[in-house]
Amino acid sequence: MFKDLDPILHSQLRLAVMSLLIGVKEAEFTFIREKTNSTAGNLSVQVNKLKDAGYIDVAKKFKDNYPLTTCKITKQGIDAFELYVKNLQGYLKVK
Amino acid sequence: MLCFLYGLFNKLNPMQETKLMTEQESLEIIQSMIQKAKASYHDKGISSLLWGSVVTIASLVSFTQKQYDFYIGFDIWLIVLFAIIPQIIISIKEGKEIKVKKYEDETIDTVWMVYGISIFCLVFYQNITPNVSNNIIKNEGWQLTKHFINNLQPDVIITPFVPSIFSLYLILYALPTLVTGVTKKFKPMIFGAIVCYAMFIVSCFTTSKYDMLCGAVAAISCWLIPGIILRKKYLKSKAANV
Repeated sequence: MFKDLDPILHSQLRLAVMSLLIGVKEAEFTFIREKTNSTAGNLSVQVNKLKDAGYIDVAKKFKDNYPLTTCKITKQGIDAFELYVKNLQGYLKVK
Repeated sequence: MLCFLYGLFNKLNPMQETKLMTEQESLEIIQSMIQKAKASYHDKGISSLLWGSVVTIASLVSFTQKQYDFYIGFDIWLIVLFAIIPQIIISIKEGKEIKVKKYEDETIDTVWMVYGISIFCLVFYQNITPNVSNNIIKNEGWQLTKHFINNLQPDVIITPFVPSIFSLYLILYALPTLVTGVTKKFKPMIFGAIVCYAMFIVSCFTTSKYDMLCGAVAAISCWLIPGIILRKKYLKSKAANV
């Protein structure tokens, strides 16, 4: 019996954000936007969804008088990502 | 019409929220993003070039002074001390440009910081211990003398010294270089560190004059050549992104 894939992570952009953040300590919003090739508006919405789920921490500060948003994966986010990958492997093995 | 616009939007903006994914696509996204994160930072090579040049120059000038018996008027190793100023400026500038912080970069930075502290401690040790030892043995009522076995020259009173101290510097040079090379999977630095350890072994058998040549070879292989390679890579990737 397959376990359902986490709906928060089973979305292109949110999964891309989590995959980027899993291997780094923290990343700036502009870096994530650049690497995921997404729009600022769309990314902002998805980042907020991940934040609300407790998967990432979002910090807003100022750098040289410009607003700077940085994102960091949480312990809960790491666990959810690992479970997602594990479940994904289950699906792929059968296929 | 709406369907057409939606399709067009999907094509233009591959990373958007609404499109359904297959499991295979999920896996591809994960792999692709992890790769992107890994390849996101390119060392500009400036620090490697700076330290490679400075240590090479200082080592070669020291060797030349000893070989041809002259003095340039100041301690050439002071340039190493002054190189800390541009290094601080480079670190601040590069720190501002970094958009992503990786765990491995933090570890490597810490290793280099510890290396800097260790070098400072070794310089301190090299300059302080001979005089301290001299005072201790004087208080004990004896002294170190250089005695010529053939008795053709009179005995000379000498200050205690650490034999082949430069060999210890060579061990230190290799350490952060090898850590960086292995962590970043950057072969020129791994090779440079191996050359540095080889120079350490050589320096154990040579006089302090030739130790300086070993130091120059170590600095060229550990930092100068990897720095040139890093710089070329960085400029190439920058040109490709324009």
